[in-house]
Amino acid sequence: MDRRQLLSGIGASGLAALLSACGVGEEAEGGTEGSASGGPPKRGGTLRAGSPPPPTAVDPVTMYDGTAIAIVQLVAEYLIWLDKDFKLVPRLAESWQSADGGKRWTFKLRPGVTFSDGTPVDAETVKASFDRLLDPGSKSAALSAFATVLKAGGVSTPAPDVVEFALERPFSDFPYLVSAGNYNAVILKRDYAGDFTKAGIGTGPFVLKSYNASTGAALVRNERYWDPGRPYLDGVEIKFYADDQADLLALQGGDIDVQLLSRAALAQPLAATGAIDLDTVNGTGVTVLTLRTDLAPFDRKEVRQAIAYALGRPAILQSIGSGVGDLGNDHLLAPLFPAAPTDLPQRALDKAKVAELLKAADATGLRFTLTFEAPDKDYAVTIQNQLKQAGITVELDQRSSKDFYGGDQTKDTPWLFTPANLVAWAGRAVPSQLIIPMVKSGGTWNGSKYANPALDAAADAYDTATTDAARKAAAATVAKILHEDVPLVITYWSGAVRAYQGKKFRGVQAHPAQYVDFGSVSKV
Amino acid sequence: MRTFLLRRLAAVPLTLAGVSILVFLATDVLPGDVGRTVLGREASAEAVALYNRRLGLDDPVWLRYGRWLGHFLTGDWGTSYTLREPVAALVRDRLVASLTLALFAFVLLVPVALGAGLVAGARHDTWLDRVISATGLALGATPEFVTGVVLLVVFSVRLRWFPVSAQAGPGDGPLAVLGHLFLPALSLVLLCTGYVARHVRASTIAVVDGGYVRAARLRGMPPARVLSRHVLRNATVPATSALGVQLQFLLGGLVVVELLFNYPGLGALLLQSAVDRDVPTLQAAAMVLGLAYLTVTLLADIAYRLLDPRVRLAVTA
Repeated sequence: MDRRQLLSGIGASGLAALLSACGVGEEAEGGTEGSASGGPPKRGGTLRAGSPPPPTAVDPVTMYDGTAIAIVQLVAEYLIWLDKDFKLVPRLAESWQSADGGKRWTFKLRPGVTFSDGTPVDAETVKASFDRLLDPGSKSAALSAFATVLKAGGVSTPAPDVVEFALERPFSDFPYLVSAGNYNAVILKRDYAGDFTKAGIGTGPFVLKSYNASTGAALVRNERYWDPGRPYLDGVEIKFYADDQADLLALQGGDIDVQLLSRAALAQPLAATGAIDLDTVNGTGVTVLTLRTDLAPFDRKEVRQAIAYALGRPAILQSIGSGVGDLGNDHLLAPLFPAAPTDLPQRALDKAKVAELLKAADATGLRFTLTFEAPDKDYAVTIQNQLKQAGITVELDQRSSKDFYGGDQTKDTPWLFTPANLVAWAGRAVPSQLIIPMVKSGGTWNGSKYANPALDAAADAYDTATTDAARKAAAATVAKILHEDVPLVITYWSGAVRAYQGKKFRGVQAHPAQYVDFGSVSKV
Repeated sequence: MRTFLLRRLAAVPLTLAGVSILVFLATDVLPGDVGRTVLGREASAEAVALYNRRLGLDDPVWLRYGRWLGHFLTGDWGTSYTLREPVAALVRDRLVASLTLALFAFVLLVPVALGAGLVAGARHDTWLDRVISATGLALGATPEFVTGVVLLVVFSVRLRWFPVSAQAGPGDGPLAVLGHLFLPALSLVLLCTGYVARHVRASTIAVVDGGYVRAARLRGMPPARVLSRHVLRNATVPATSALGVQLQFLLGGLVVVELLFNYPGLGALLLQSAVDRDVPTLQAAAMVLGLAYLTVTLLADIAYRLLDPRVRLAVTA
C-alpha cells in the first residue's frame, strides 16, 4: 500500500471521524435549509465545483471520464436530455417518432437555436455530429453504443429542421442512444476539429472561457442560450482535485460549492454532521461477478446458483454500496429501467440451498480464484468472507487496472477471460447496452461466454418491441433467463450522490450517471 | 574551484542521458496501453491499435528513444499522449509551481531548523534539548499527509484562517499567493525540520566542546558572542549538505502534499504521466527534475566549499 492508497483509505472513515471529532459541521447546522427554501430563483453568482482532473484531453468525441463529460455537458447539448429518473427530456429535438416498426426514427429540431458564436443549428449540423461519431475511423466509444443499430450513412436530413435515422435493425430504445445516455452524442459545429478546449463552442447554457489541464476550467453564461432566463448563474468555475479527500475538504472549507463526482462513502459521514448537503439517486451502474459458463466448475448452473444464494445482498449494498442503490437480482434489468420486471422473486441468502446445489453439482468444498482490479478489493474481500461462511473457498487475485484491462481483448485479457472476475460497469441508459455486449451470444464483452438462443431471441424481441407491454414482456423473459442461469451475479445496482453547500445554492441534483445540468441551479 | 566546476558540469549531460535511458526503459516494461488509457475501456480494440500505431508505439524501443532524443535536443518536447497539451508548457508551468512552493518552504525551513539545532546543541542534555530533539523526531516520523490533514482541518476548515487549496486565483497578489502556500509549506517544514536540526545539533555539540570555544570562554568572551562568532558558522557548515538534500526532496518529492493541498506541481505530473505511460511528459519532467537535482547538489557543494576553508585548501593543495 503506497501513501496515496493509504491516504485514500483513511479518507472514508478517518477523515470524517477527524472532522466530526473536531466539531466541524456544528456551525453549518441548517445547511439543508437553503436547499429547501422556496421563492423564485435568483440570478447571478458563480458556482465553484471540484472534480478530478480529466485523465485525457477534453474532447466530446472521445471523452469517457466524468469530469470531461461534465465540462462538455455544461457547454454542449444533446438532442434529448436524460434526467435523474431516466426520463427523456427534449432539448435540441422538440419531438421524435418512429416508423417501419422501429427501424426508422425522425427527430424534429427546436427552432431558433444557435451556437454560442451565433451559428444556427440545423439538420445538417446534427447529421455532421452523428456522421463524425459513426465514422469507422472514429475513436469514439459511441461506436460501441451504436454497434449493430446504426452505422455510417444511416443519417439523413429530409428537411432543414428534421433529422432521420435509418437503423440496421428495429430498436425501440433508440431515442436513448441519441440522448445524454450516449454521452458522446453531443451536437457540435459542423467544422469541429477536436479543439474543444481551445474553442469551446456549443448550444449549452455556458461558454467555456478558459481551460487548464492542470488546474481547471472557467465557464460563463451563454447569452445566446435558447431557454429564456436560463441559466440563472453568471458562471461556473471548475477546480481540479487529484485527490478525493482534498476535494471533500475544499467543499467542507468553502473553497468549492459542489462536487461534480462525489463518493458516497466519503460524503455521507460529513453530510450526517450537517456540514454539507447530499442529493442521492439510484442508478444503473453495477459491479458484476462474472462466471465463465464454459469452464469448470462454473459450467454447472447449480454451482453458479450456489454462489448467488451464498451472498447476503443487503449487507453488501450497505457496506460496499454505502446503502445507495437497489438490490440486484442476477439479471441486467436494473429497477431504474422503465421495463424492469417487478414480479421476479428477490434472491436472498440461503445456506441450505447452497449446500443442496453444491451437492447436486458434486462440488462440495468448492474452491475458485476471483480476479479483480484494485478499486474492487473491498467487494472481493466481502465476497470471499461471505462465501467462506457457506463453505466456498475463494482465492483473491488482485491486478492493477492496466493489467486487468490489458492484454489481447480477443484472447487473454483478464477482465474477459479469467474464470471468475469482478468488473465495474458504468451506468447505461438502456438495458440493451448491457444485455447485448455482456450476455448475448458472441457479445463483445461477454466475459461469461454465455450463449443461449432463448436469451438472444428475448433480447431481440425487446429491441423490436413497439409497445410498452411488448417491451416489458420481453424484458421479463430476459430477466427470468438470466436469474435462472446466473452467468453474472449482481448483488446491487450502484446509486450516486452529489455533495454540495445547500446554504449557498439550490437546484443541485445528483444523477445516476453523474451527469451535470446546472441550468436550473441558482443562489439561495 | 574552476576545475571542480568544470568536472561537475561535464558530468551533467552524462547523468541526464543515463536518467533518460533508464526512464525510457522503465516505461517500456510497465504494464498498460496508452491507446486504452486515452480512448477508455469501451473503445474497440481496432481503435486502440490504430491510436498506438499513429503514435509510433509499435516501433522498437531504440527507434522510439532515438526519435524522442532527436526531438528533445532540438527543443521539440512534443505533445502529451493523454492530455494533448504541449509538453514544454505543461512541464514549465508545473516546474514554476514546484519551485515556488519548494523555495517558500525552504525559506521557512532554514531559520527554524538551524535555530532549533543550534539551541538544542548549545543546551545539549538539558530538558530543552530533549524537547526539541523529541519533537523534531516525532514530526519527522509523521507522514506529511497526516500533518497536512490536521493542519487543513484545524486552520482551514475549523478556523478558516487559510484556504484549503494551495492554488491561488488568477488575480491574487503575492500576499494571497503566500497565504495559499503557507499550510503546505508548513507541513513540509514540520516534516524536514527534525532531520536538519539533528545535523546542526550534532555539529554544534562538537563545536561547543572544541578547544577554541573553551579558550574563548576562558578569555571571558560573552556567551552570545561565542555563539555568533565561533559556534554559528562552524556548526552550520555540515548542515549545508542536509539542507541540500531537503531542497532536492522539496523540488520533486512532494506528490502527497501536492495531492492533499491540490497543488499542480511537478511531482504529481511525474506520477500521473508514469501511471498513464505518457512518455513525452514523463521524460521531460524527469529531465527537468534531474537537472534541478544536479543543480541543487552543485550549489550545496559550492556553498560547502565557500563556508569551510579546509575543504577549499584540500582541493587546491
